[in-house]
Amino acid sequence: MNEDLYWIGIDIANGLLSGTMLGGYYAVISIGLALNFGVMRQVNLAHGDWLIVAAYLAVAFLGIANVSPFWTLAGVIPVMYGVGWLIQRVLLARVSVQAAERRGMAPSIGLMSPLLVTFGMSIVIGQGLLALFDANAQAIRNDLSYAAVRLGEDLSVSTLRLVFFVIAVAMLIAVQTFLNTTHAGRAIRAAADDPEVAALMGMHPARVHAVASGISLATAGVAGVMIGMSRSFQPFDGPTFLLVAFGVVILGGLGSMTGALVGGVILGITQVLSGTYFGPSAQLVGGYILILLVLAVKPQGLFSK
Amino acid sequence: MATALLSVRHLSKSFGALHVTQDVSFDVHAGEIVGVIGPNGAGKTTLFGLLAGNLAPTAGTVHFAGHDLTAAPAHERARAGIARTFQVPRPFGHMTVFENLKVAARFAGHLSDDEADAWVGRVLAMTGLQSHAGSLAGRLPLLLRKRHELARALAAKPRLMLVDEVAAGLTDQEVNQFIALIQSIRKSGVTILWIEHVMKTMLTATDRLVALHSGRLLAVGAPRDVIDLPEVRRVYLGA
Repeated sequence: MNEDLYWIGIDIANGLLSGTMLGGYYAVISIGLALNFGVMRQVNLAHGDWLIVAAYLAVAFLGIANVSPFWTLAGVIPVMYGVGWLIQRVLLARVSVQAAERRGMAPSIGLMSPLLVTFGMSIVIGQGLLALFDANAQAIRNDLSYAAVRLGEDLSVSTLRLVFFVIAVAMLIAVQTFLNTTHAGRAIRAAADDPEVAALMGMHPARVHAVASGISLATAGVAGVMIGMSRSFQPFDGPTFLLVAFGVVILGGLGSMTGALVGGVILGITQVLSGTYFGPSAQLVGGYILILLVLAVKPQGLFSK
Repeated sequence: MATALLSVRHLSKSFGALHVTQDVSFDVHAGEIVGVIGPNGAGKTTLFGLLAGNLAPTAGTVHFAGHDLTAAPAHERARAGIARTFQVPRPFGHMTVFENLKVAARFAGHLSDDEADAWVGRVLAMTGLQSHAGSLAGRLPLLLRKRHELARALAAKPRLMLVDEVAAGLTDQEVNQFIALIQSIRKSGVTILWIEHVMKTMLTATDRLVALHSGRLLAVGAPRDVIDLPEVRRVYLGA
């Protein structure tokens, strides 16, 4: 009897622990999507595909230099920032809510257009990756994949997940600090709050949006490298991660980095515990049931005011 | 007479078949407080939108400090020295009072980080918001929000401030405090264009009045003269 209780306790502790670790990874996957929507009111349907682009970019960097996969972040982050800045400035700014208003169109057109454009972008990215690489699954090999940190006789956590969790928390703190304390960060917050007034206070909306889009894809760069290191991936895997990102945003709301982390952790724990008790196939289903429940009960997100 | 700081010529704005502003022309000179009056729907707030750049005119021109700003977007006008407030205050609610003022000082006011800190400190003192510097602007009570609205516009270091109705819903004493504040802003070198419904305020606090009716310019002149005009009395009092 006592032994049964012990194992139940161990199962729950392991579930909470690995779910929490998974949550950090999910937060990094979702933060770019939340930033895009929070600042530009854009739902970027290509967000998942950009994550996969970053994973392939890391593969390409590793083809040039045989270093630890973590070093690829030094190349992936700036490249993804540049790509984010550029696509916002030359493409998405032309189909934004603000662009529609300038042309005297209904705001609904401004909300719809980026959906269609990013949906198209998603298809182009998938096909582009297929053309550049191939349909074979890729993975970024690393020394940590099978390592674990033992916390007790029957309690352990994957070293890779633990490292990801630390990186996730550090990145969320860095982004929040950037938004709170820098010139550009405050402009992004102001433009997210009220773009019309932000312009009246001298902020150039298109530039602010380009920086926000750059940061969004830079975080997607970190997430992409993490994806590549933790599982195999193929050109059309993007939408799977888009779904994860939507889930986290629904749970945590769009407001803050803390919300993303909490949303990620709740989703992570739910998935891991569902998997533990109802079998591996229940893992995804458990997560989606939770998301559906939240949508039904509190559609504005668990933490939104 | 010296060149006008703001020169509006034949300004018009239509939304489809609806003509909200029609052929409006007037000047504002540096150092003046000019009131804008007119019944609801006269096009006062639309005029502010056209001047600040939130709205693009259908026809006409806006010159400011000798430059043609007719086609300039809002952020360029803000940097050129035009600031506006809203009747219903629109603070960046998730930012502190200090941060609200600081973004205005840094972006519209062209100040460096240190200069902006010092300037925002002065503006907070001038507007009596020092003790609220760290509060979230979205949580301020209405009276402080109205002060904050003026303070943020002032933090932008404007040459011309467009003030949209501060007196509505306030007691006489509170209105007098706002009049004193706006006059002290003028004394610091800022020209004021001010929409207000409270006629007493407009009579005592302004140098000239611009009267609008159904989007058209009804009269421009000394406050008493404008208010005594039969057409203005008819529009306002139905007399």
